[in-house]
Amino acid sequence: MTTKKIMLVCSAGMSTSLLVKKMQESAVAIGEEVSIFATSASDAQNKLDSEHPNILMLGPQVKYLLSDFQRRLTIPVEVINMQDYGLMNGKNVLTQALKDIG
Amino acid sequence: MDNSEKKSTGKKVLDKFSDFSARVGNEVHLRSLRDSFAMIMPLFILAGVAVLINNVIFPLIASGNSLVNLQFWGNMVTNGTLNIAGLVLAPVIGYTLARNKGFENALLPAVIALSSLVIVMPFTLNVIPVGATKTVNVSGILSFSNLGTTGMFAGIIIGLVATEIFMRLSKIKHLKINIGGNVPPSVSASFSDMIPVIITLSFMALLSALLLVLGKTNLIALITNLIQEPLRRFNTSLPGMLFIYSCGNFLFTLGIHQTVINGTLLDPVLLINMNKNMAAYAAHKAIPYILTNTFRDTFGMIGGTGSTLCLLIAIFIFSKQRASKNVASLAGAPGIFNINEPVIFGYPIVFNIPMMIPFVLQPVIGILIAYFFTSIGWMSRVVVLIPWTTPPLLSAYLATAGDWRAVLVQLLIIIFGVAFYLPFMKISERVVARETALASKKTV
Repeated sequence: MTTKKIMLVCSAGMSTSLLVKKMQESAVAIGEEVSIFATSASDAQNKLDSEHPNILMLGPQVKYLLSDFQRRLTIPVEVINMQDYGLMNGKNVLTQALKDIG
Repeated sequence: MDNSEKKSTGKKVLDKFSDFSARVGNEVHLRSLRDSFAMIMPLFILAGVAVLINNVIFPLIASGNSLVNLQFWGNMVTNGTLNIAGLVLAPVIGYTLARNKGFENALLPAVIALSSLVIVMPFTLNVIPVGATKTVNVSGILSFSNLGTTGMFAGIIIGLVATEIFMRLSKIKHLKINIGGNVPPSVSASFSDMIPVIITLSFMALLSALLLVLGKTNLIALITNLIQEPLRRFNTSLPGMLFIYSCGNFLFTLGIHQTVINGTLLDPVLLINMNKNMAAYAAHKAIPYILTNTFRDTFGMIGGTGSTLCLLIAIFIFSKQRASKNVASLAGAPGIFNINEPVIFGYPIVFNIPMMIPFVLQPVIGILIAYFFTSIGWMSRVVVLIPWTTPPLLSAYLATAGDWRAVLVQLLIIIFGVAFYLPFMKISERVVARETALASKKTV
């Protein structure tokens, strides 16, 4: 069983990195082996090429990138729920991600 | 929604605005432009640091000839950053555009963009030799004035155009030389793109030669005078800039990041102003502009877009709601570094009509206050590009190369902002409280 990789993207990669920490905490709490990282919209393609994540999650403020990524990628791509994003609810976002990876 | 067919005009306009912005956000050339700026930002930030060290720190520890010698360090940095902004931008844009369009070998378009930019440079230059007063005509050199901040748009446009031409040509099957056989793939790749490269660069050279022979001009001068300067003058005028900036910030109240508009329309031209200010400060000349991107960040983005640090302070002091206080404590630490998505999506500002008003207007007021104090000469102009994550108060001090009066102005803006956000915060909390009460009634 390989580690699941979750990639988050927002405008500058700053606010998503806050969420990464919260998600990692809740992953530890439920004993799930995941690797979670965040990057900026401008670096997204590089990271997709090098890291091969299992899922790509977009911050709500860059949801306009959704269609483009969905068209080009085979992995699930989705926009993080606004409220979960604002309240940095790592547990909810992680649950959603794991559900989508399947 | 039962009345979805009867959408109000206001809602329609909002939807149109969101759709349009999403299209701008996703448009590949504009996205590549923003990506490129993100990529080369460290260079300009280094230039800012070097300007600070050269003009604030070094004079404290040295004087006379040894100071001049020390300052060579910063001047060299300026040469390799600000003074070649256009030269750096062209290949970076070529690269990001190729990458965003899914072109296999993105480095090749970058090289073509760079080569094209040099191809369209003026053939001879009027220069003043060191120590002379008269200009002389010389050929065989490139000048910092064309490669640097003044040539930034030339770098952008040539980078986009050359890359676009090349990629279109390389899609044409008939132009591919196929050597086949057992040659290494990279060798055959270099051959397969050979004709598109040749055509692209030859076309650029032809354009350049025609302009020189027929018009006694060059593409750099044309782009700078016909596109860059009119755009820059309008977009960095006080009303023009405030209008565009407010549109971008309004977009954020609909949940889409403001860089979609501001990063495209404002950042390039405000950065030109910033870089010219830095260069002027480094050369001890008069500072040309008040409005720059760092000026905007420092006085109109205190704690992030919408100057939401003012809202956080208002919540900490005056709010009685636990939910608000929770969001504020979560958003406090990132807010100090001007990261405020937790406030925008968590408080929330998005789709929260009372909060949209101060969120859009407070930046305008902040910029106007700072503009006023700068234009009457009471505080220094912004001469140092600092990272946008620099905390408030420190940011005003550093951006003005150590002017404490700028810190006072920033403090004044924050105090005003707290007072301005407060009534809207109260309205918003009353609405939330009423909704919660209604919801609990329904469930009982």
